[in-house]
Amino acid sequence: MIEVSGLAKRFGSLSAVHDLGFTVGNGEIFGILGPNGAGKTTTVRMLAGLIAPSAGHARVNGLELGRDSQRIRATTGILTESPGLHDRLTARQNLAYYARLYGLRGRNLRTAVDRYLRVVGLLDEADRRVGGYSKGMRQKVAIARALLHEPEVIYLDEPTSGLDPSAAKTIRDFVATLRDAGRSIVVCTHNLDEAERLCDRIGIMRGTLLQVDTPARLRRRNGTAAVRIDLVGARRPGSFLDLLGQLPFVEAARDEDGALLVEVRDPRADNPDLVRALVEAGARIVGVHEQAATLEQVYLDLVGEAGERDADVARIGEVA
Amino acid sequence: MRPGYVWAVLLKEARDLLTNRLLLGAVAFPALVFAAIPTGIVAFLEVNELDPNQLGQVEGYISQFPDLEPKLAAQGFIVLNFMAYFLLIPAMVPMAIATQSIIGEKTARSLEPQLATPMEVGELLAGKALAAATPAVLATWGVFALYGIVNGAIADPVLTRLIFNDVWRLAMVTLVPLICLLSVLLGIIVSSRVSDARTAQQIGGFIVIPVIGVAIAGFFSGQASFTMEQIIIGDLVVAALVGLALAVGNWIFDREAILTRLA
Repeated sequence: MIEVSGLAKRFGSLSAVHDLGFTVGNGEIFGILGPNGAGKTTTVRMLAGLIAPSAGHARVNGLELGRDSQRIRATTGILTESPGLHDRLTARQNLAYYARLYGLRGRNLRTAVDRYLRVVGLLDEADRRVGGYSKGMRQKVAIARALLHEPEVIYLDEPTSGLDPSAAKTIRDFVATLRDAGRSIVVCTHNLDEAERLCDRIGIMRGTLLQVDTPARLRRRNGTAAVRIDLVGARRPGSFLDLLGQLPFVEAARDEDGALLVEVRDPRADNPDLVRALVEAGARIVGVHEQAATLEQVYLDLVGEAGERDADVARIGEVA
Repeated sequence: MRPGYVWAVLLKEARDLLTNRLLLGAVAFPALVFAAIPTGIVAFLEVNELDPNQLGQVEGYISQFPDLEPKLAAQGFIVLNFMAYFLLIPAMVPMAIATQSIIGEKTARSLEPQLATPMEVGELLAGKALAAATPAVLATWGVFALYGIVNGAIADPVLTRLIFNDVWRLAMVTLVPLICLLSVLLGIIVSSRVSDARTAQQIGGFIVIPVIGVAIAGFFSGQASFTMEQIIIGDLVVAALVGLALAVGNWIFDREAILTRLA
């Protein structure tokens, strides 16, 4: 369980993260999406007890950030942005080293190393130096390293970066099993498709969390949703555009590929009135399809707006 | 400071070093060269039956070793005079290992995952410092032992007793480890400011200048070897410098600085 409230980090005059607040429950995967420099890595480093916050509070598994940082690090697994392996050592030696640092010894150490080498499919390659590994294999070793000590809280920065689709699916499935085992997982990613497939909730970040919700609700909440209306009969779709322009709940409408594409604020509330108005005007409707915004659209809109706000603030600062 | 963590880092570094032939060569080669030069001269004198007067300063040698015949006195002067160079090994070797180790970690970005474990920064640095210093101390001691035995075997057992004198035994036990520690700490400090091992070693190379100065001063003073007092003063000076370097290293190498500036 992770509880964050008012967390902030400044590096000199630069504010990397501010007013950050969210919770991640046990058995939940929380995705953080954001552009480069949005503060994702800084957030993870603070929560993993690597760097101290400048303000705010966070509790990780009931442990207070700052006061219990060493214990937080002992119960936290982190996949860093770069695998950061020791190239002259074998995969087994790399994992054994970290297992020791996490307090494993003897048979427990050997069992954990073998188990996670098997999980990431590298048991047969375990005694080769990782300097000769492919990017994907290195990423697998780094994932195994993050999980060796069975952490309750796991931070994964771009977990499937460099993996082929099949290996990426294996890792995603494995992360899902960790969630099912009750772990709290935070995934930082640029991969929107992966975030949508993997995460229970997503926070879109740019210095702070701009919005947090499930992927489906994020799509629905943001922007106008489009409704595609397929028509048959002699009248062309374009002939209904004047009518649609007079309806108060219609934001925009156009003729697209022989169908009407109508943007409304709330499709569930507005669609019955929209269909009734068209039918009364003589339209012969054969299909009505809601076209929700994609996560990519939502992400780009939110991040773009926040970027413009930041630029405005910077301009005002310069003028002042 | 928990020994388990320091030991884990030390073992990992040792594994890493043992697979790095180039760095191993850098440990062994200078030590052997410093020992080989005076040993070669002793052997040359022994084999060619040279008149010691040809070496010059013979009165100086004889006056320092009145109980020895002139040739053996010359050989004794040579083996002792060159021994100042044994202090170069602990100055140079750990610096090379420490800078390679830390800059290698920076390049591979492997410091962050280590710092994400319950290990403290001090434990990481202690493990690295020991891993860099141990081969240098062992190499110095090994070559010192070899130097004494080989020169005794070539010329006369008297040379072995001269080499293994009280002054140099004290220097080996105190001054050599202290110089190693200073070298490692300077290597760590320099590595925190630059991003490639070669630059770090070039900057860190300045540490050998005072040691070379001491060696050259010893050579031109006509004094065959350091005195006990000089070694003790050397210990105190180097220990003070180690304290200073520890304070600076501790300030530079905090977890946040490593992650936000160095890694």
